Amino acid sequence: MDDEKVMIIMTSGPDTPRRCATPFFFATLGAAMEYKVTMFFTIDGTLLLKKGVAETIFPKEGGKPVSDFLQDALDAGVKFMACTASTELHDINPDTDMIDGVQMVGGAWMWQEAESCETVLTF
Amino acid sequence: MATINNCNLPEDLYYLIDKHVWAKPLADGTVRVGMTSVAGKLAGGKLAGATVKRKAIGKEVSQGRSIATIESSKYVGPVPAPITGTLLRGNDKLAADPNIAIDDPYGEGWIAEMQPSDWDGEKGALASGSEGLEEYRAKLEADGISCD
Repeated sequence: MDDEKVMIIMTSGPDTPRRCATPFFFATLGAAMEYKVTMFFTIDGTLLLKKGVAETIFPKEGGKPVSDFLQDALDAGVKFMACTASTELHDINPDTDMIDGVQMVGGAWMWQEAESCETVLTF
Repeated sequence: MATINNCNLPEDLYYLIDKHVWAKPLADGTVRVGMTSVAGKLAGGKLAGATVKRKAIGKEVSQGRSIATIESSKYVGPVPAPITGTLLRGNDKLAADPNIAIDDPYGEGWIAEMQPSDWDGEKGALASGSEGLEEYRAKLEADGISCD
């Protein structure tokens, strides 16, 4: 049971702040249920992992920034993987521009990981 | 019922202090478990859910591992098992009203019942009685927690 894996594919980014808190919340919740949770960031989701970005996005006016939700997920043990090709889309340098704790992977990694997961959610 | 930093903490329970959960041996050899009033305070307000992990029922769960989750609009986190044992059942009443886990944490709001794997071996390491509550007081003061 401890080996059950789940994955959340995050494609939403700074253009849609209201879509940027719940995926992290669900990831933290999954970790609290003792799933091994991975978030895979691609398309605009990758922008949330660029240094200094998540702090500036507020899903609710006057509420917490996305960076708080993101940090809760990291603290709960959620693994962050980002799609290398999406960094090129946004002219992000994966070696210098990303927050700590993110691993860069290719699209084939996502397919293989998805196959081994109990559940895959996409946002 | 003792009151420490305005947190209600009954003297007749066994506490895993670091995780803010309690255990109470029942007459039939099983153990009822739940969250303390401190855990309710840390969750910060009204709960949207208190959910026992369905797939863990009938399986052995180690002390400190998650048997349930609680979630509010501001918080999400595990309810760790205070002892090692087989998870027998969750409290069905939590589905209709998760907030009983906060409003009545030692009564109607218990979380689950377990068949302990080694109660006699583990209970000595749990905090209990007036001495245990003094340990809990020290923890609350060290962490600056109050249930005001």
